Amino acid sequence: MNGCKMVCKGITVFLFTLALVTSALAQDKGPIIIGFMGNLSAAPCLSARGAAQLAVEEMNAAGGILGRPVELIIEDTKGEIPKAVELYKKLVMTNKVSAVVIAEKVEMAVAGMEIGAELFREYPHVMFSTIGSGDVIWHRVRDAYDKYKFGFQTYYAVSTHYLTTFSHLNATVFKELAGAKKIALVYEDMEWTRPLRRGLEGVSPRLAEVYQKDGLEVVHETTVSTDQKMFTSIFEQIAASGADAIDCVIGYIDQGAFIKQWEQSSARDIPIFIWGGLAGMPPAWQVTQGKTLGVMVGSSMTRVAITEKTIPFMDNLATKYKVGPIFGSHTTYDTLFGLKKAIENAGGVADVEALIKQLEAVEEVAVLGTIGWDAKLHYNLPHPKYITPVVQWQKQGDQGAMQVIFPAEFATSKYMTPADLRK
Amino acid sequence: MLMYQIQSVLVYTFIWGSIYLLISLGFSLICGVLRIFHLGYGVTFVLAAYGTYALMNELHLSLWTAIPLIFVLQIVIALLVFYKGIFQRYLEQEEILLTLSILVFLAVTHLANHIYPITAGVSLPTTIIDGTFLIGKVRISYQMLFAALAGIVVTSLFVWMFLKTRIGLIIRAMSQDIHASRLMGADVNMMYYLAMALSVIPPTICVLMIAPFWSIDPHMGMGLLITAMLVSILGGLGNLKGSIVASYLIGFIHAFVSFFYVSRFMGFAALVVTLMVMIFKRGGLYPGETIW
Repeated sequence: MNGCKMVCKGITVFLFTLALVTSALAQDKGPIIIGFMGNLSAAPCLSARGAAQLAVEEMNAAGGILGRPVELIIEDTKGEIPKAVELYKKLVMTNKVSAVVIAEKVEMAVAGMEIGAELFREYPHVMFSTIGSGDVIWHRVRDAYDKYKFGFQTYYAVSTHYLTTFSHLNATVFKELAGAKKIALVYEDMEWTRPLRRGLEGVSPRLAEVYQKDGLEVVHETTVSTDQKMFTSIFEQIAASGADAIDCVIGYIDQGAFIKQWEQSSARDIPIFIWGGLAGMPPAWQVTQGKTLGVMVGSSMTRVAITEKTIPFMDNLATKYKVGPIFGSHTTYDTLFGLKKAIENAGGVADVEALIKQLEAVEEVAVLGTIGWDAKLHYNLPHPKYITPVVQWQKQGDQGAMQVIFPAEFATSKYMTPADLRK
Repeated sequence: MLMYQIQSVLVYTFIWGSIYLLISLGFSLICGVLRIFHLGYGVTFVLAAYGTYALMNELHLSLWTAIPLIFVLQIVIALLVFYKGIFQRYLEQEEILLTLSILVFLAVTHLANHIYPITAGVSLPTTIIDGTFLIGKVRISYQMLFAALAGIVVTSLFVWMFLKTRIGLIIRAMSQDIHASRLMGADVNMMYYLAMALSVIPPTICVLMIAPFWSIDPHMGMGLLITAMLVSILGGLGNLKGSIVASYLIGFIHAFVSFFYVSRFMGFAALVVTLMVMIFKRGGLYPGETIW
């Protein structure tokens, strides 16, 4: 009887061990699962979803990652934080994803990061925020690395980049291309512009002081609210201030009205640069009925080959997934290829600590230059690694086209003054 | 510099005040005649913009064909959807009337957003003369001037109608005492129809005039509705005289704050002034229960 018990125990232990080994083997040989979350009613999220699908399709066509197929699970947050938290838990706990991509506003990424931090020890995974801007993601990594080390941000819109990288590039554009010496600054009254208005302690003084140090005299500064529709007074005051360039730190205000009123003001001949938003999207020409002519804007939606991936990405996204490359699509696509390389370098996804170390070191050719993340702070490497060209709206026949004017190596046209362009 | 600022305030008080008048006139008319706080009024701006665009782009009509058609469409919707569909049925149940009105407005806004999201690049080619000119040291665009003049012309016609015509007399009588008007033989129902039809004219003209310097987006109706409400509340609900004074007062506040302080506070400043007026002069600047 004792012998029988011993045999039964032995068989149980054997079967249990076999199950564990089989499960581990299946994890090593089965698909690498990636979760995607976004508000699938919003244009940027739909574009990012197409970019994620395109990246996975291309990876699988090329043999997957380490010979394993890649599976993408797409979830719709509907823009609601409680739903995003539930979906994050589902992806990590039920679908057992190795990575979660949150292609949505930064509040969603923060919610995901918090629930991810609670789940991380039991369900090791990594998380990427590919649309959310601002500093809240990398601040968490900086302040509590062990807790938030699984989180990465692939969006260049962080204040440190703005103040230490973009500001100098913009100053170069103003001085060398527009020939400006005096500049007017227009900020929108939003959280993301606060560090630019006030500076970042220990990192950089405020934007106006950065420009002063770069040799530009700031002659006018003002802030506009996001619900504002009348901007005429601002442009009249800027024209009266003697500014010879306008730097608009805006992205979310009503840019249609803003640009139209600039073009119908005393400041219409003063070169204007807009940091991002509608002005950098193709519909801007039609929305403003051509009044955007001469406007300079940071835009990744122009058809210029920054790397060998740029043009195929834009074409494939449009033809296969019927969406245009809006902000967030490039970063989502590039994130997945950065992740692929890191997984290959780590030898798989089983050891998440090794994967995180590889993500902190990886560099991969991307649609907009080179994708990689800061080893300590986990935001993606800025210019000159990851490039947002400065474009200017110029005429192409009867229509307008965004022409790259900076950096010089990617320029498709020369800068022209708004007055010359209108002739 | 001070002279330039004073000149700017004067010029833009006139320009912006006249545009605010155009925005709020229809709302005041409904308040004055039907005694309804028409929360669905914002839909007229959305329909004017997107209806005209749709007629031009989907039916390939010219602007000059689309404009009369959009007026007809606006009047039909005002009469059938709002007046027959909501106001007439729920005149005694104000909470239902208000809820349904704003639901229709929101539904149309979302429909516009669904069919023509911002990426569709909706715009209206209604520029009369492009460019700018100087008044003293102040530069203004021709289109803003035309929009302001349109506000003055439309308001003058409305005022003339109310003061000089028999229909205007009946409407004024109705706004003072609806029951007495009925006893005197006024066709109240017909006058309600007329008021509803007239109320869509100023906002439609407004959208066509401001499109070259304003932004057209599916949610534009909400901001314009709030402006209309602010003007009407400050002026005294339903009083056209009050609306005229309030429009230019808000225009002055906006211009003064913009040119002497910072433009992002202009909305806040107008709200504070309205609040103060309501505290010290209950019912607004012209609190009488009459349209004029």
